[in-house]
Amino acid sequence: MSTSVRIVARRVVVLAVVLLQLGLVARGYWADHKEFAFQMFPESSTWRADVVRVTADGRRVSIELPWSGYRWDELVRDRGLRYPSTRHHADAGLDNQLAFLRGALDWVASNTPRDRETRYLEARVTSWHNDDPARVEVFRSPVREGPG
Amino acid sequence: MRGAAFDELLGRPVSMRALVLLRVLAGPAVLLHLQPFLSDALDGRIYRDAFYEPYASWYPELPDAVYVALLGLAVVAAVAMSLGFLTRLATATTFAIVTYNLFLSTTHFHNNRAYLVIVLALLAVAPCGRELSLDAWIRRRRGRPALDTRAPAWPLWLLRFECAAIYGASGLSKLLDPDWFGGTVTWQRVVRAKEDLYAWHLPDWAVSILTNRSFHTGAAKLIVLTELSIAVGLWSRRTRYAAVWVAVVFHLSIEASASVQVFSYLGIAVLVIWAVPSTRDRVLRIDPAAAGQRRLGALVRRLDWLARFRIEPAPPGSRLEVVDRDGTTFRGRGAVAFALSRLPLTAWFALPALVLPPVSLERKGVDHADDYLDDGSLPRATDPAGSVPARPN
Repeated sequence: MSTSVRIVARRVVVLAVVLLQLGLVARGYWADHKEFAFQMFPESSTWRADVVRVTADGRRVSIELPWSGYRWDELVRDRGLRYPSTRHHADAGLDNQLAFLRGALDWVASNTPRDRETRYLEARVTSWHNDDPARVEVFRSPVREGPG
Repeated sequence: MRGAAFDELLGRPVSMRALVLLRVLAGPAVLLHLQPFLSDALDGRIYRDAFYEPYASWYPELPDAVYVALLGLAVVAAVAMSLGFLTRLATATTFAIVTYNLFLSTTHFHNNRAYLVIVLALLAVAPCGRELSLDAWIRRRRGRPALDTRAPAWPLWLLRFECAAIYGASGLSKLLDPDWFGGTVTWQRVVRAKEDLYAWHLPDWAVSILTNRSFHTGAAKLIVLTELSIAVGLWSRRTRYAAVWVAVVFHLSIEASASVQVFSYLGIAVLVIWAVPSTRDRVLRIDPAAAGQRRLGALVRRLDWLARFRIEPAPPGSRLEVVDRDGTTFRGRGAVAFALSRLPLTAWFALPALVLPPVSLERKGVDHADDYLDDGSLPRATDPAGSVPARPN
């Protein structure tokens, strides 16, 4: 590689990395998942959720009860989601935590093929953003094909 | 003109010694990082046996056995990277596998892992296997000439930018959040962890202060100021040592109060990159006949991982002497404090000594600072200008 090409390549790589890093830091202010934004210990927010399976016949069964050979705490082991009915700290912020919870509902709904009765999973979430009053939201997985 | 200066800055050959040392230290960080993945693999589980969330549908996923083998390869590569065996290949392999694993799922992402990926990426592009490595040893054994240990500075500058950016981004996000800056976040976190405070056997008065709302109104601002001052302070030679010292305290405090995986270890290890990238440009003169000086010489030889000192014999009866790269001379206890303050393992303990009278007087050109200490009299000679010489750190 000629010297001039090397100089230009070096300049481009360094500026690209710097701009990318600054862009990712800025993105952290609106994205749920804040990759490379380095917002450490961002909130004291907490949350808890009652997660149920809504079956084809309309029953609402807590995921704390095993079903069709599945257990929630084996299916969802990470990111503080293992025992959602217990009030937890949202380690990386509430938006991030609830995005993971929504993702977990979707994943469980589509990765439990032996379950032939659940139509969808639903989480009734109570969250406390820092010292704000409690807020209640309901999240649902997509409706599963087959049951009902 | 500015562009030329920028290019010169990025392309100037500098010592890679700090990155070499970081390469050695990064291996254990990788092993610690991989431990939970390997532990799951040994139990017959991998990430996709439970909830995971790919970043992109096109991202390649490997068969279970291949994935586990890849984790095993990362362990081998990380060890080879630290030992400096096939260093470039080992570092690039470690970087590639750790990065691949990180981006397999959003659930894998943590700030400490992101920092590890950044560090590995920059180690992979820097020629940091030419010292403190089996590669260099093998080369010597074969009678081949040593490779130049200097290389263009741009990976070092980029890693410095990333290091400062991490403190800056963290501090800025807290500064801009009224709940954080006002103390609500830390106060609530501590109040909820009150039982832990008692478990640490803190006295009641300490628990009372730590759970007091007003205390956190001030403490939060101090934390934000600390992070931002580290980010800024690292860039100036005048404040760099203070910033490094505070950063070490900061990381140890975090490690004591939160679970942050490899962040504390990595954060402290990366601080070595702030050493001026030149080697053997300070002289430690010891009298080989003096046992104390000989011991210090041996200590410096063992712990001078950044290769900052040349050790030269002094005539019998000479006082211990350190000559800094700008010519400033330290003698006696000042020399001991200065030498220890430039060794990675002892720097944190020795740096505060540099602001004590005997050392600071010597730094200002007072040649008899030890006399001042010993007999309690005022120093007899001072630098007529009384100025602090411009000194690189």
